[in-house]
Formats: sequence, C-alpha cells, structure tokens
Amino acid sequence: MTAKPCSHEEAVTAAARSGDWSPELKAHRDGCLTCAELTLVVAALAADAEELAAIDVPLPDPAPIWLRAKLATRERQYERATRAIVWVQRAAVAVALAVGLAFAPGLWALVSGAFSAVSFNVSAPDLPRAAGSPLVVLVVSMLVLGGLALWELTAAQEN
Amino acid sequence: MIPMALTLPRTQTTDLAGRAVTMDEAAFRHLYDRTARPLRAFLMRSCGDLALADDLLQEAYLRMLRSGFEGEDDDHCKNYLYRIATNLLRDHFRRKRPESAEVPERDESPGHDEAVHLQSDVGGAMAELAPRDRQMLWLAYVEGASHQEIAKALGLRSASIRSMLFRARQRLAKQLQARGLRPELEVS
Repeated sequence: MTAKPCSHEEAVTAAARSGDWSPELKAHRDGCLTCAELTLVVAALAADAEELAAIDVPLPDPAPIWLRAKLATRERQYERATRAIVWVQRAAVAVALAVGLAFAPGLWALVSGAFSAVSFNVSAPDLPRAAGSPLVVLVVSMLVLGGLALWELTAAQEN
Repeated sequence: MIPMALTLPRTQTTDLAGRAVTMDEAAFRHLYDRTARPLRAFLMRSCGDLALADDLLQEAYLRMLRSGFEGEDDDHCKNYLYRIATNLLRDHFRRKRPESAEVPERDESPGHDEAVHLQSDVGGAMAELAPRDRQMLWLAYVEGASHQEIAKALGLRSASIRSMLFRARQRLAKQLQARGLRPELEVS
C-alpha cells in the first residue's frame, strides 16, 4: 500500500497533538496509512520535544548575552558619534594635498631657490643660523604636522 | 495547541546597523526563561550537537537584542527567534558545504554529539534525515507552524512545502518503524 496525501491530515495532526480523538477520526486513522504515519510522527516528535526540553543540562547564562548586546550597541553609538570627525580629518588631508598640488610649480621654484641658498658646509658656530632657515622650518613643520595627522587618522580607525 | 505564527516580523534579521537594545534586562530574562528550552530543543534536534546548539542559541538571542526588535508579546519575540535560529542553522550548514547548495544528509562535524542523537529512538531517527527535513518536521509538528510560515523560515517556496513535508514525514516514519515504533503504539 502506498501512502498518499489525505484530506484528514489537519484533523489528525490536531488530534495526535491533543490526544483528543473522535471515534470517526480514530476509525479513519486506523484504515489510512498516511494518517497512521502522521500520528506516529506527531506523537514521536511531541514526546521527543518534551524530553529535550527537560534535558538536565543547564542553559547558557543569559547575562553575558545581555552584556554583549549592550557592548555592541555602545560600539555602534561610538562609531556613529566619531564618524563625522574622521570624515572631517580625511577632508582636511585631501584639501591640503590638493592645495599642495595646485601650488606645486611655484613651490618647486621656491624650494629649489631655497636649496641653492643653503650651504651644507656650515661650520659649528653657524649651525643656529642654518636651523633658522625658512626651508628647514617648513620641512620640519610639515613632517611634524603630517605625522600627527596620520596618527590621528589611524587612531580613529582603530577605535 | 495554538499554531505558532512564524510570520516574518516587521524587522528584518539582517538589518542590524544603527539599532539599539530596546528591551530591558528583566524583560529579556523573562523571555529567555520562557523560550530558551524549546528553542534549544529545536536547535539540538536540527544540528545534532548540544554545544553547537547552545552557541546558536546565544547567537540568536544576541541578534534579536542587537536588532532592536520590539515584539508585541512573547509569542511575537519567539517567532522572531525561531526565524533567526533557522537562518543561523542554514548559515552553519552552508559554511560546512560551500561547494554544494544542498544541505548535507547528516552532520558529520567533529563536535557532533552522538549522545544527543542516541538519547532516544526519535533522536536517532531524526539524525538520519537531512537538516532541512528535521527543521521542517519540527516546525510543523512541534511548533505548529503553517506551510507558509515554514516556507518563510526556511527560505523555500510555499507551494512546495506540502509535498516536501509529506516526503520528510514518510522518511521519518520509516526510520521510526525501523526502530520498532509503530503507529498503534504511539496513539493514546
């Protein structure tokens, strides 16, 4: 005998779950392979569910779940709050680069002129004067400021 | 038994960005106490591994909290949790078999807990089915979900659920009968 879908499946499922069988439905089930199989499956799964729900293994503690969720929320809030600052920093670097590129030809003439004016054969007594050269001040300032900007950017991304 | 409505909640599980925990801790604990055991039973029977089931259970609650989902009542939250859980199970089985779209017939992972399967005849019979069949049968006959709800939860076409469920049921019945369980023995 081959099982085929039966129109009583819904009623049989409900009866198998509740245990409330009408005599007609019980008679149908006893003569219908599909409904007999359905009854077996529903009753077996119900018993299994009950057994598993009562299993003697403690559930994971909900407190760490709650804490992780709160931490994740705070992280997202922090990220949202600092997003604008990071974008402003990036924009500032981009503007500085654009300005640098725009004025590059003029700057190059200035720099090459300044280089030609600098003498590297400075004697020790003349060092303070050489350190006060506009080119050295410019280069050192750019290095320091560039380094700070990079540090700020990477620190913001790490957070 | 009241059928469990596994309807798609208003909040999508993947839309987590920009949302915050809206439930207070006491309400969360209440929900957890009420829903965690049946949800773990579902996960355990679906994946066959108690440790993995506990991991997925925690992840399901975490995702629910992070989504900022506000259920109308406990049942609404429970439905949402089951939907997250089925997504987590699907992701788990996909990760295990990236080369195939089909779910594996059995969970053969090293952490596979035979004790859970062998704990009962039903567990052993369920272990012989594909994970999708296990989830489908559990949702239909333990949680009382409708075909449409099962389709949504498992990402299948609603029209094909009836026949898929019928075949899954036949496979389980065959496994149960092979273990000596007969319809007349189960009927009260």
